[in-house]
Amino acid sequence: MNELSRAHIGNCAPYAAIWSGFEGANRLEELPWLHVGVFKQMDFRTTSAGIHHERVLNSSATSGSVASRIALDRASSELQAASSAAILSDFLDETARPLLVLDSSRSLIARGTVSARIAAALSLRPLASDIHFLLAEAENPSSLDWTVLDRLLDSHEELLVYGFTWMLWLALGDCDIPEATLERLSSRRIRFVHSGGWKKLKARTIGPEAFNTQLLSHCGPGSTVTDYYGLVEQVGVIYPLCEAGFRHVPRWANVLVRDAWTLNPLVGETGLLQLMNTLPRGAPYQNVLTEDLGRIEPGTCPCGRSGARFVLEGRVPQAELRGCANV
Amino acid sequence: MSESLACFDSSSGLVAVHTPICMDSLIEQWSLVQRAMLRTVARGFSRDEWAYLAKFLDAHNLDKTIRESFGAPTHHPIGVPLRIYRARGPIAVWLPSNVSLLGPLTLVLLSLTGQRLLLKLGSRNDDLAAAFLDFARNTLGPGVLRSYLEQNVSAESFSRGDAREREMTSVARVRIVFGSDQAALAIHSLPHPVDSIGISFSDRQSEAWLDTRSADDETLKTLLRIFAVYGQAGCTSPKRAVLIGASESERKAVFERLVGLSSSVFNPKPAMNIASDTLMSDQWARALGWRTERTPGNGALLATGDGNLEDFDGIMALKLEARSLEDAFRALPANIQTIGYALANPPDSRWMELLATSSVARFVPIARMHHFSGTWDGEPFWARCFEVMELGS
Repeated sequence: MNELSRAHIGNCAPYAAIWSGFEGANRLEELPWLHVGVFKQMDFRTTSAGIHHERVLNSSATSGSVASRIALDRASSELQAASSAAILSDFLDETARPLLVLDSSRSLIARGTVSARIAAALSLRPLASDIHFLLAEAENPSSLDWTVLDRLLDSHEELLVYGFTWMLWLALGDCDIPEATLERLSSRRIRFVHSGGWKKLKARTIGPEAFNTQLLSHCGPGSTVTDYYGLVEQVGVIYPLCEAGFRHVPRWANVLVRDAWTLNPLVGETGLLQLMNTLPRGAPYQNVLTEDLGRIEPGTCPCGRSGARFVLEGRVPQAELRGCANV
Repeated sequence: MSESLACFDSSSGLVAVHTPICMDSLIEQWSLVQRAMLRTVARGFSRDEWAYLAKFLDAHNLDKTIRESFGAPTHHPIGVPLRIYRARGPIAVWLPSNVSLLGPLTLVLLSLTGQRLLLKLGSRNDDLAAAFLDFARNTLGPGVLRSYLEQNVSAESFSRGDAREREMTSVARVRIVFGSDQAALAIHSLPHPVDSIGISFSDRQSEAWLDTRSADDETLKTLLRIFAVYGQAGCTSPKRAVLIGASESERKAVFERLVGLSSSVFNPKPAMNIASDTLMSDQWARALGWRTERTPGNGALLATGDGNLEDFDGIMALKLEARSLEDAFRALPANIQTIGYALANPPDSRWMELLATSSVARFVPIARMHHFSGTWDGEPFWARCFEVMELGS
């Protein structure tokens, strides 16, 4: 991480302006980091021989907010794809099955940019035989094409279905599924994978338990739901929720929890999550202080996985900003 | 309730003002509320907000709004008034949730007109206007103000687009909208009486201007305290401080002093989203070349740069720049509201010339940047709640 940090400082001017005094870290907390919010304000790009920037990954900005922009390069993208596949294969076996994405195929056609949803869906590609898009309109879960789903249910024993959490709920949880599709679903193994967080479902008072129960109630034996946490600013490293309720950190990544007021590292206490990994070459997003709350859990996980683990505890609460009406 | 016709000596001669309730009686009764405020703080208010509101209720302060609009009161008028001012009629006010103290302050001033008042509050429960209205109603004994607040002031919370919004615009003779430009446009385009008026207080920002000679510790502390009230969330908060005519070395020296004074001013344990935002704005600023310092606990960010740097934002980020007077005027944002000043010499004719051709709405000492009055954003909204009858002789 020291070497990677130095490479970014040497080849990314705005990053160097922030971390000009960096000489080397002896501890994780001394490594240079960026606040997740700066990727919404500025474009960071590390340029040097051998780095080929290809596309810009955009986060899914909520209404009224600005999207993060992450410059993707060819070499890092390959590492990131391999990373996601390795992490997910620990939760989903590598059986070849079609991947169904709750998005429109039109979302793929965006010159130079890729959306967070498409990037997340494509990270599952190595675990699938082929890929299908279920929605006619990218932002409209009720535009789901049931004939596509029915056709795939008829020809496969197992399907992998990916969607943003809220979209999966609206498309296949809280909806009227046609009788014929319900019948087909009841005998098939469906592996649901979702990400993007619970913010939109919180307003509907839908929690993980109700979510899983409802989705699985239509499906055949062996069906599962995997909820993972990830940020476009940490593309390639995702954190599925294990059976014991923890997020496990792969060996090529690490996590810190910091006190928001002192920045001191915390263990066993809740604070700001800081995520790091060794993959990004094309921009300095290898170490990111998030606006999410988490707690590092010491000890061994009952699920049997080793290494660092943490509990994700939601977003930093947004205290009211008092002032004038224009803000 | 007693109707009143009061006379004033205005700069152009004698004028009369007709109100449904005697303004002096209302002011007197607000003093009773002020006294009760010394004993408790109503829900939702910070101590600073409560103290400011209590001070605002000073009879002298309320009376000033009337004097500035109509002149000095006279109890022995000589001759026939040139004009009679009479209240236009019902006033509707839109107050979003985060408008904070402007809500109760507007309520107090508008009460002096004696007109029916329709307040549309934000959707959150901690609305300060509603809390203060409840406090005043419960505090006052029988009298004109309590009757007025109970019978003529309604405060309702509902979402934008609710049918009640149309009811408000259809009856109001004066519409006062605090909110975004879009919100104001939407409200003013609803059906309304053809002779009604619309007043908008929308997206504005402010600056503090000082010169090196006036930048003593007391002034710098005042600047920091004024900024600390709302940070960049306040339209009257200085988004940046400009050292007029200062050299680069003077700017840097003043910045170091600001940093030294700041630790005692800002909250060392702010809300976590504020601390997080300060960390973000710190990195954003440094990436653009600003020199920055975070206050303890990440309660605020102080930044300084040479004036040519790209701008950045942060909820609690105060920027210090040095500019010539002309350059400072050139660099003013189009939506400038207030310039708070601290100047060793009073503004001269050059200043006045530049101010006159700018869109600055208020030019007041730094300590008075947040002060509210019957003229706001350059709009004499209180006086505009009255219409004029010309009296020929």
